[in-house]
Amino acid sequence: MSVEVRNLTKQFGRFPALHGVSLKVESGELVALLGPSGSGKTTLLRIIGGLEFPDSPDSRVFFYGEEVTHVPAHKRRAGFAFQHYALFRHLNVFENIAFGLRVLPFWSRPKESVIRARVEKLLKLIQLETFGNRFPSQLSGGQRQRVALARALAVEPRVLLLDEPFGALDAKVRKELRQWLRRLHQEIHVTTLFVTHDQEEALEVSDRVAILREGRIEQVGTPQEIYDHPATPFVYDFLGHVNVFAGRVRDGAVEIGEGRFAAPATAGQTAAAASAFVRPHDIRVTRQPGGPAAFAARLKHCHAVGPFARLELERLDTRESFTVQLSQEQFQTLQPRPDETVFVELKNVKVFPEDYSI
Amino acid sequence: MLLSRQRRVLPGFRLTLGFSLFYLGLIVLIPLVAVFAKTGALTWERFWHAAASPVALGAYRLSFGVSFLAALVNAVFGLLVAWVLVRYRFWGRRLMDALVDLPFALPTAVAGVTLAALYAPNGWIGEWLAPYGLKISYTRLGVFVALTFIGLPFVVRTVQPVIEALDLEVEEAAATLGANRFQTFRRVILPALFPALLTGFALAFARALGEYGSVVFISSNLPLRTQIVPVLIMSKLEQFDYAGAAALAAVMLVVSFLLLLAINGLQWRTARHHQQT
Amino acid sequence: METANASGLQRCPTSTLQPFRESLNVPALAPFDAVKNLGRHRPTTEPALVRWLLIVLALLFLALFLVLPLLSVFVQALSKGLGFYVRTLDDPLTWSAIKLTLIAAGISVPMNCLFGVAAAWAIAKFDFAGKQVLTALIDLPFSISPVISGFAYVLVFGAQGWLGPWLAARGIQIIFAVPGIVLVTVFVTFPFVARELIPLMQSQGRAEEEAARTLGARGGQMFWRITLPNIKWGLLYGVILCNARAMGEFGAVSVVSGHIAGRTDTLPLHVEFLYNGYDLTGAFAVASMLTLLALVTLALKAWIERKESSLKL
Repeated sequence: MSVEVRNLTKQFGRFPALHGVSLKVESGELVALLGPSGSGKTTLLRIIGGLEFPDSPDSRVFFYGEEVTHVPAHKRRAGFAFQHYALFRHLNVFENIAFGLRVLPFWSRPKESVIRARVEKLLKLIQLETFGNRFPSQLSGGQRQRVALARALAVEPRVLLLDEPFGALDAKVRKELRQWLRRLHQEIHVTTLFVTHDQEEALEVSDRVAILREGRIEQVGTPQEIYDHPATPFVYDFLGHVNVFAGRVRDGAVEIGEGRFAAPATAGQTAAAASAFVRPHDIRVTRQPGGPAAFAARLKHCHAVGPFARLELERLDTRESFTVQLSQEQFQTLQPRPDETVFVELKNVKVFPEDYSI
Repeated sequence: MLLSRQRRVLPGFRLTLGFSLFYLGLIVLIPLVAVFAKTGALTWERFWHAAASPVALGAYRLSFGVSFLAALVNAVFGLLVAWVLVRYRFWGRRLMDALVDLPFALPTAVAGVTLAALYAPNGWIGEWLAPYGLKISYTRLGVFVALTFIGLPFVVRTVQPVIEALDLEVEEAAATLGANRFQTFRRVILPALFPALLTGFALAFARALGEYGSVVFISSNLPLRTQIVPVLIMSKLEQFDYAGAAALAAVMLVVSFLLLLAINGLQWRTARHHQQT
Repeated sequence: METANASGLQRCPTSTLQPFRESLNVPALAPFDAVKNLGRHRPTTEPALVRWLLIVLALLFLALFLVLPLLSVFVQALSKGLGFYVRTLDDPLTWSAIKLTLIAAGISVPMNCLFGVAAAWAIAKFDFAGKQVLTALIDLPFSISPVISGFAYVLVFGAQGWLGPWLAARGIQIIFAVPGIVLVTVFVTFPFVARELIPLMQSQGRAEEEAARTLGARGGQMFWRITLPNIKWGLLYGVILCNARAMGEFGAVSVVSGHIAGRTDTLPLHVEFLYNGYDLTGAFAVASMLTLLALVTLALKAWIERKESSLKL
């Protein structure tokens, strides 16, 4: 276990940021803290880095089994990369990276030649070998982010903490850096936590994802686990577009309009009002009434530009709207026309009792 | 809970705040309290006798009246100067821009002797006006000239950054909607500049009220005619009439505090307005 | 918007956009519009005639109130020739005034510098109740008449003041002596450095200092290596303005000075001494030194402003 937090509680004025959050991170893992803004993910990261302190005496932070709850930031050896990089504007790239080595107490400070060698190695790692003499203001956003990472890595941190590492970058650079981070992590294998509000980023880069909502952890798991088996409606909704149908649970199935759909997880529950969650690509649209596992809907609008076509439909009984995603191939075969009535079959229906809300 | 016990990541909070409060108290607050303490020790009759004597009333009238006029002239010309410096390019602009701060940097005594000499009947400017019977030095007009000089940078420097921050697209929008240039200025630009203009006016007014150094040289400092309040306080001090001086000082301090409050309020509102838009 | 301060002393950011906009040409219009070309101007500026009128008016105003007084100081100072000028400045009384002025500035500037950095650190980098009030209180000395400032110190340290008897019993004289001059100079220049640093440090935020902490820097290392280099221009700016006021203060110093030429006269007081003694040329000779100081201050100020705007990319 390399990082463990227990029961973290933090309040800013009257606004509670964290309520008893506990999390364990294995050595060498790359974990994403995912959540909407205000969910407490940055506060959690800053507490781990020693930039904030928890309120409650029961709150604990451990690095490799050693308690660091009360260790100040400068003695914690947690590498921290800030959302807006926080590069030292008056120092060039080389000196920014060397900073952590130069402020070591003189008895443990490496010799100049060692510092030089280490910085040059890091410059190579971030692919900015020739940029040592540049100042932060002369770099692009992506380059600044890499310098910030190298600076954090220079002190050989016990854990690397990244706050929205790609948040301030444009979409293309973001994608490139994401893959670069993944490869970098495979190379250096330092335990890493990073904060993001972008679910695609979290699922693509991390070994495990922790989803936060209103200061609590909703679910922790591998990207596959949480995408396939979301624990709560919130997680379901947060990880991509989802349709919600009002229905009733009966005999291990959920009834939506005239359709009945298998929902094994609800076995044993009866006659309860429930919400059924279905992803847009798990819906099939036909012109033939498809038996019991289908219901009727009116087609309102088609949008067919790009690799996928998107259909907006409306249930005939409740007039609830929902979205269906089809491949271009399926779309060409179906050739739907606006205002026509079609039949809808659902796959992978996930049912939550009605009192859940998103 | 000025000093909360919460832990902080950055060091030195208690040390720096503690030192700041100590130093503020020692250098600024204790001496100011002394003025009010001295005033408080007076009987009401003595206070009234000193603070509302005919000479004092004359000094208030002159100080407030001329400061107001000087600030008003500065509001008009300050706006003009700021506009010209920001919007137009001409030879010598940079030099003028730097020179606007001269009244801040020039010791007031120097300003006083220079203006007095310039506007004296035999001075460079005074000699042109003397034939028309117009005297400036050693009259109320001289007080006005000095207070205009020392207040000059305030309006320019408060309005200038706001003009720079104006969005040209808004003016373009006004033009496309059929406004002529004067209408655009009157209905779009001026309202945007008004809070800053008012702040600059208030700053110039506050500064003029307290001014001593430049006025004492250019004015004849005659009670009831050309004596402003700070000069009156000084004359009380020279006669060691500390009670009388304290009464006048207390009145002026209260006015200063109110002005400071008003200016802070104005700036706070302007800042908030800018955050919203 | 950049907030103005009560001293009015503040930076004037020079627009980088303006020259670019000026260089933009008016797009060509259809031929039948050619007749109107004479009065043609972009919708964001005024007709040429109005522009010229406004520029001339503004320059006249500035010339009357700034340039003319400036010229007159030097012309008057040299009106009895260079020899007289040099003799006035080389007078022992002038030298002692220079010395006292340097002492007053030499003590008050470092003290207010220390205070300015401490106050700006506490106010800009931390949140605490009463922050707004503290910031407003720092401005107080700017909004008070210098005469009243001097008087306040007389009431504390003077013979009839709070500490007067105690000090007199120990043979310490503050009012009408050098210590009083130094103290009121500290008072009137109190806000300069703090005023300059607070908004600067607020705009810089805490992230760089936090980064230094996570990289292992101790408090002192963080301050000397990160904070100080980041505020050095702002600090210098504040110091220059603080110094100009310290050397030029007249009203407050006049109250607490004993007005003994050669003993308790600073340069501005020496101007008054010569002026009242009808040595006009001498007064202007000393005034010309202070005017030079003001010009150097303005030049340095403009230099720092340009330096800073070129650093801000």
